[in-house]
Amino acid sequence: MLSKLGGALLAILGASIIAFVFMRLLPGDPSRLIAGPLATPEAIEATRQALGLSDPIIVQYAKYISNFLTGDWGFSFSAGESVSTLIGARLPATIELGIYAFVGSFLAAVFFALAATYRQRPVVDGSVRAVSFFGLGVPPFWFAIMLLVVFFERLPWFPGPEGRLSPGVEPPPSVTGLYTVDALIAGEFGTFVNALHHLVLPSIALGLAVFAYLVRLLRANLLEVAREPFLVVARSKGIRRWRVFSRHALPNAFLPTLTASGLLLAQLIAGSVLIEKVFNWPGVGTLVVDSILRQDFAVVQAFILLAAMAYVVINLVVDVLYGVVDPRVRIGSKAE
Amino acid sequence: MRADSALAGSTTDGQRPPDDVVLSVRNLKTQFRTKQGVVQAVRDVSFDVKRSEKVGIVGESGCGKSALALSLLGLIEPPGCVTGGEVWLNGRVVSNLGERAMSAVHGKEISLIFQDSMTALNPIKSIGDQIAEAILRHQGNVGKRGARKRAAELLAEVEVPNAERRLVDYPHEYSGGMRQRAMIAIALANEPDVVIADEPTTALDVTTQAQVLDLLDRIVTQHQTAILLITHNLGIVAEFCERVVVMYAGRIVERSTTMDTFHRAVHPYTEALLKSVPRPDRLERAPLASIPGAPPDLANLDQGCSFEPRCFVGRGRDVCRERAPDPTTVGPPDQPIVSECHFAHERYERLIAEGEA
Repeated sequence: MLSKLGGALLAILGASIIAFVFMRLLPGDPSRLIAGPLATPEAIEATRQALGLSDPIIVQYAKYISNFLTGDWGFSFSAGESVSTLIGARLPATIELGIYAFVGSFLAAVFFALAATYRQRPVVDGSVRAVSFFGLGVPPFWFAIMLLVVFFERLPWFPGPEGRLSPGVEPPPSVTGLYTVDALIAGEFGTFVNALHHLVLPSIALGLAVFAYLVRLLRANLLEVAREPFLVVARSKGIRRWRVFSRHALPNAFLPTLTASGLLLAQLIAGSVLIEKVFNWPGVGTLVVDSILRQDFAVVQAFILLAAMAYVVINLVVDVLYGVVDPRVRIGSKAE
Repeated sequence: MRADSALAGSTTDGQRPPDDVVLSVRNLKTQFRTKQGVVQAVRDVSFDVKRSEKVGIVGESGCGKSALALSLLGLIEPPGCVTGGEVWLNGRVVSNLGERAMSAVHGKEISLIFQDSMTALNPIKSIGDQIAEAILRHQGNVGKRGARKRAAELLAEVEVPNAERRLVDYPHEYSGGMRQRAMIAIALANEPDVVIADEPTTALDVTTQAQVLDLLDRIVTQHQTAILLITHNLGIVAEFCERVVVMYAGRIVERSTTMDTFHRAVHPYTEALLKSVPRPDRLERAPLASIPGAPPDLANLDQGCSFEPRCFVGRGRDVCRERAPDPTTVGPPDQPIVSECHFAHERYERLIAEGEA
């Protein structure tokens, strides 16, 4: 466990160095950008001093880390706000989309994997495999645009790329920042439906790859587990086929899926950057894309480090969960 | 010559077996559809098991023993399928029951002890939960706490030390012998009338094997459970079983009492099987005997006797190649030997003559 924790810290350290170096290597002088095109050399130098850019590189790095840990993630000159404020304001939108995409793709994956393997019907199995193949191969942003073309332009079933709510609909009073949840808390049912309606297409676009990956994994695991003798034994106790499947086969098939969750989160974070842009979703992904276009790298740098931390934390949580679910890896269990 | 099988205690189709017969298998057929063709794993198998009787099913690997076990239980999964015959359990046909009705029979009237206890237990459920699951399925009225108490009792009965404390342990925390004991506890949780034990001791070392067999013997005697012991170990059969069924290429080629199997092996396959058991007193004189050739391909069976290519009796005789032998009954009517060999009568008479000489 300690070595896992050490590994996690090392991964974050590595990510922080990459983010830091990435920032230094960029062409252009941030002090000049910040001070403005009309600033005198003295003013630029003063800005450089104020930013600490003339300090030795190691001091700069140490300052950067300590600032990051104390919540000072830098200043976005294009927005004129601190990065933490910017990201904080955008995070709920990204989290809400991520949750819907993940939960939706997870449920769909379980359903389709079960359909593909239960009683092993070749036609169902073949179709599910085809869908998962498609989902893994198709570029997410193209799929997002196709969704918009079909379900917004041709068939007006879903709203277009207009963000989280229709124009004119007021966001619900903020409690969690998740509009669907806040709307329910406030009892504004109309807002809830509107927010949900806006979530459908982006969630599908973002969740497709995760869904495809999960289906493939779950299907393979279920087929593997289906051959296990303990399922026959469970049947011989009088447990019905479906119950054996759901209580014995499924939990065993889920174990490797849990390990993959870390990867899936990475998939979601990476996907959100492009998907949000396509749907004009006011989340961190859109912010990052815009910041790259405006050369506002303080935001990008903070995003890289935050994403790395989220990834590492999720993987740690997965490790702990694994021990809870699988008695064979439980820490401190009696040796055989 | 179907009448012969009726004489031997196997009742004909559609007729209720006598009351002391707890399990009656009649003309059971099981096939597997594979790319190589239809594999006939169980071919027209009939036999009876009486209450609290211990019957051994022996044969080489791939002769259809395990397929027979699963067919009896109605747990053959695709691509396999039971294509004919009947299974009578406690005086009624169970082979035509639907899944729901059959699940009420499983565990309660007939249950299974599996070969490898490591894979036969769910690795992520505690032993206690797995025993309690069997109890709750058929005795739901005892409640969760009651099931747990009963599970501890069962575990104690199969001689797992510290039974109550070890309920919460997982299969990987048990030794091989203890896992097999836990398996027995699960199989006996609802005191079934028939237990099918598919190679229950194969994965265990010899000392543990003996302990587990002793335990099984004592418990089935106590509970008046009939047991169907599937094994390729003839030593275990000699020690444990009262009657023996010998399977070859999906058919029962011989069935008789254990005594007859070992001393009056009428079918050439039974004789060959017995000869291939290592005997220390013979080892110095001759190399270890084995049966030449391999069992036939069950997807491409010839019309003749399936043992013919490997047989030392029928060599070259046309009848063996042209016609599959019918079951022939020899020996005294109360302890018949049913043998599927064209020369059953000749061979039996010679055995008797040799015995008297």
